Amino acid sequence: MSLNIRPVLAAMLRNRTGAVLVAMQVAIALAVLVNAAYIIVQRLEKVHRPTGIDEQNIMVIESAGFTGRFHQTSSVREDLAYLRGLPGVIAATATNSIPLSNGGNNDSLVTRPDARRTGYINDMEIDEQGLDALGAKLVAGRNFRHEEIQPALTKDDISSFVPQIIVSRALADYLFPNQSPLGKQVYDAINHSATIIGVVDPIMGNFPGSDHPERIFFLPRMPDEFIVVRYLVRTLPGQRNALMRVVESQLAASNPERVINYVRPLSYFKNLSYLGDSSMEIYLLTVTGLVIAVTCLGIFALATFNVSTRTRQIGTRRAVGARRRDIVSYFLVENGLITSAGVLGGCALALAAGYWLSLRYALPRLNLYYLLGGVLVLWGIGQLAAWQPARRAAAVPPSVATRTV
Amino acid sequence: MLAYYLRLALKSFRRNPGITALMVLAIALGIAVCVMTLTVYHAMSGNPIWWKSDRLYAVTMDNWDPNHPLNPKSDLPPPEMTYKDSQFLLTSNIPVRKVVMYSTEGVVSGVSSEPPTQLATRVTTADFFAMFEVRFLYGNGWSASADNPPQPHIVLSRRENDRLFAGVNSVGRTLRWNDHEFRVVGVLDDWFPRPRYYDLNGGHFQEPDDAYIPYGWGPELELQNRAESDCWRPEKLENFRDFLASDCVWQQMWVELPDAASRARFQAFMDAYWAEQRSAGRFLRPKNNRLSTVAQWLHDNEVVANDNRVLVGLAFAFLALCLINTVGLLLARFLNGAAVSGIRRALGASRGQIFAQLLIEVALVALLGALLGLILAALGLAAVHHMYAAAHLGRRGGYQELAHFDASGILWAVGLALTATLAAGFYPAWRIGRLSPAVYLKSQ
Repeated sequence: MSLNIRPVLAAMLRNRTGAVLVAMQVAIALAVLVNAAYIIVQRLEKVHRPTGIDEQNIMVIESAGFTGRFHQTSSVREDLAYLRGLPGVIAATATNSIPLSNGGNNDSLVTRPDARRTGYINDMEIDEQGLDALGAKLVAGRNFRHEEIQPALTKDDISSFVPQIIVSRALADYLFPNQSPLGKQVYDAINHSATIIGVVDPIMGNFPGSDHPERIFFLPRMPDEFIVVRYLVRTLPGQRNALMRVVESQLAASNPERVINYVRPLSYFKNLSYLGDSSMEIYLLTVTGLVIAVTCLGIFALATFNVSTRTRQIGTRRAVGARRRDIVSYFLVENGLITSAGVLGGCALALAAGYWLSLRYALPRLNLYYLLGGVLVLWGIGQLAAWQPARRAAAVPPSVATRTV
Repeated sequence: MLAYYLRLALKSFRRNPGITALMVLAIALGIAVCVMTLTVYHAMSGNPIWWKSDRLYAVTMDNWDPNHPLNPKSDLPPPEMTYKDSQFLLTSNIPVRKVVMYSTEGVVSGVSSEPPTQLATRVTTADFFAMFEVRFLYGNGWSASADNPPQPHIVLSRRENDRLFAGVNSVGRTLRWNDHEFRVVGVLDDWFPRPRYYDLNGGHFQEPDDAYIPYGWGPELELQNRAESDCWRPEKLENFRDFLASDCVWQQMWVELPDAASRARFQAFMDAYWAEQRSAGRFLRPKNNRLSTVAQWLHDNEVVANDNRVLVGLAFAFLALCLINTVGLLLARFLNGAAVSGIRRALGASRGQIFAQLLIEVALVALLGALLGLILAALGLAAVHHMYAAAHLGRRGGYQELAHFDASGILWAVGLALTATLAAGFYPAWRIGRLSPAVYLKSQ
């Protein structure tokens, strides 16, 4: 098979417009494809970061007392006894905030009382079943004991601290790089101290949207009295939804001094937190698919048009000895040349767009492997789209050359 | 003449149904993607009180940690104020209206057989309703004197009034809010500014609150802020009074200043207060006392997400692709039919007439493409709305509020399709019109 480019090029240059239009389409397609793919992969990575939480089997219950007769501590005790007694429940804890919901508390935490305070760290109140209720894995130290759980903060005591905390591995590495954090002292915003007794890994806190969602520490304390109480309940696989219905009707009736605001799966909160990312993914995937489809269409249309206007020439070539596969290769080479020209322009366009996105929207700079992948994909679909017209051209019988006039 | 050209165009469609369909589809896809993206972008970048945008000012002061700003990525002061600063600024009578407020939660009970329900409740000074031009269905807000000492007045949203009182005029009726007796003084009409510019906490497109009570109830009942409170100073907070006196920011403040002179006077008032406090050891950061118009406020708080700007760019790239595709297809189509044009030229049609006839054909394709594009965009937006609504378990608020097709979207689509496609058809039509008829007559 001879890949004779000269005559292909000569024919193309005599009728440039169609080729230029298709090359432009390829260029735009490459720029869109590469940058969209890069953004999609980043979002996928973000959404699928390990959370260390048994997301699919946890329900969240929010209870709000509203009368003067409501006694939070006894209400929490009763609710937890009920929840923990349900068949199918692995563990239940009372807490002040909801994991992965982009809402919760932050506190300052430093390793020396006089250290400069540079940022805030997510914290969460749980009890001795808290880690189990999350499904989180303790990798060093020990869990909270029942007798270590501190009474709730009240309206007249809103800034106490706790004697012990459990930290995430990421927070331990941040506070005490290259050291074991166990037994170390840390200080809160007003220099109350606590001892680190355990390390959890992996774990994501309340703020998946923050810069360091994996930096979190757990406080052994009942949830603050002046804030609504949340319960995290982890069930055996497959039993969450059935248990949610049972729990909702039971708790709503159990205490007239409070309301149950909702009983929802934890996945609901996670989905909401990532709604922007997941809709961006879907949108980009759809548009990328359409871009490829429309580009294919353009290539296919040009090849078909070229074949139909050159029927007589093809017949003539066949009559003077060209084989079918020579005809096929002619059109594939022609298409390859056009696509290559487009890809060349597309590389420049893709890099420019990537640079602009990184500058304007602080996205990371385009990874060149994506560009290489995009080039291969466009060459591939270019040849595929031209394949059927090329076959049709090859089917033109040599006698066509003599028939018309 | 027009009717004749239209007939010719239809004939040509029938001759090449496949290529016509492809062109219509390519335009429709480009239009659909653009209209969808622009609709969401348009809704997002809306200013729901544009007519008053430069009279309303969000008030912020930078009382933050001298060592580092609240947000290292911007030079903006914290978006909320401390209680004590807001109380001082509230004493000024320079603004024609002034609002200090925050959002809390309260359980409403004591209305017939309705089960107790927790409502998002705004604790606000009396000017809220007049300042943000909230319309009332029944009754009114409360007077400024009801703020302090606080009177047991409550204003309900229309939806809450529908739920609690079956939509009847409930002014004068009583209910229990967190187990305290309140009297309904007003019921709001439907009101859902998007974005919720006056309080961007917890999402830019959240629903307005369902209940409103006088500001003085905040300290009186020690009502907690349900949105963001930020503290930086290591100070011991024993109780709610300590919190009120602290450097924590959680109060939202807006003022209405009718002209540049009053704006300048209020700015001077703030600056004087700032200087006095600074000499007493507060406000250790560089002076940053801001009065932000609604437009500026929406911009500073990045209500239009970067993602959506990227998507608008992407949509236009896709439209460009579709149009180039259409140019290619049109050119092929017209070249195929060049012989017919050649005969018409030979029979006396002028270049202009050939050009006009071909453009009519293009316009017809554009119209069909716009129509199909509109249908696709409506379907796409419905799908997006459905997806968001499902994620919110059907409750209002959030991004699904943006995925609505409106009249401006339809105008956009038709305008975009016609201009874009006509621009695309211009070159092919011009090229065919320029061909010398002899060439094509000869080749027959």
